[in-house]
Amino acid sequence: MINEMELKFKATLANELLARQSIVAFIAPLNPTFDEIGEIKTIISEAVSNAIIHGYHFDASKDVYLKAAIYEDYIEIIVKDFGVGIEDIKKAKEAHYTTRPDLERAGMGLTIIETLSDDFSLKSVPGMGCKLVIKKNYKSLKVQSE
Amino acid sequence: MENKIKITSFENGIVIKISGELDSSKVKEYRDSIHYYMRTLGPSYLVWDFSCLTFLDSSGVGLILGRYNEIERINGKMGLIGLNSYSRKILGISGLFSLMREYRSIKEFISEERIYL
Repeated sequence: MINEMELKFKATLANELLARQSIVAFIAPLNPTFDEIGEIKTIISEAVSNAIIHGYHFDASKDVYLKAAIYEDYIEIIVKDFGVGIEDIKKAKEAHYTTRPDLERAGMGLTIIETLSDDFSLKSVPGMGCKLVIKKNYKSLKVQSE
Repeated sequence: MENKIKITSFENGIVIKISGELDSSKVKEYRDSIHYYMRTLGPSYLVWDFSCLTFLDSSGVGLILGRYNEIERINGKMGLIGLNSYSRKILGISGLFSLMREYRSIKEFISEERIYL
């Protein structure tokens, strides 16, 4: 492992920006392209909003945990919440499936994360929370040596 | 880049240009602005200009889909211009290209959709 970071913040959508910008700053030494930055920001946003909206039902007193690590040729991102969890993960992953159609959010969050990442796992225990582990390769990039 | 929305009209349509980041904190405000223009101008055509867009997630996709349903209800048409490879990818994953297509410019949209005054 080359570098690692951890962040804890309150479950409010305003913190999506904080989460995105922290990761962008964290991976900046890898000189990512515009597309790579965009894709990682979108992944983070989807993962964090899932925790806030579905895990905690917008309860801003709760905490979302974001962890990231840079390895030789990939970045690992972990988003964790201790919210309600997901009863049916298979169903949650279906494109256009949403438990909150009222929010006009397309129900595409997990499909987007899955497509943009090179490896993705979602673990959940109903009533205990949810953990998303995302791996994203970076081929064109070289970590700048000291 | 500053996050903002700019709406301009053409013939019987509107162009919605969103610059910077389109995230969940902006969606409500943008939806209200678009609804204001839809109410006052009653456009049949709605074109999104994403040439200055730097961020998009499923809340933004939801904003587009919501307006698509509204414009579809009045038999209108929606198009996309100014996509970069990143925004094209997010919209593609979300399945938007089965509902609408991308145009090189607003001029191409007008000529292909044969919008006459």
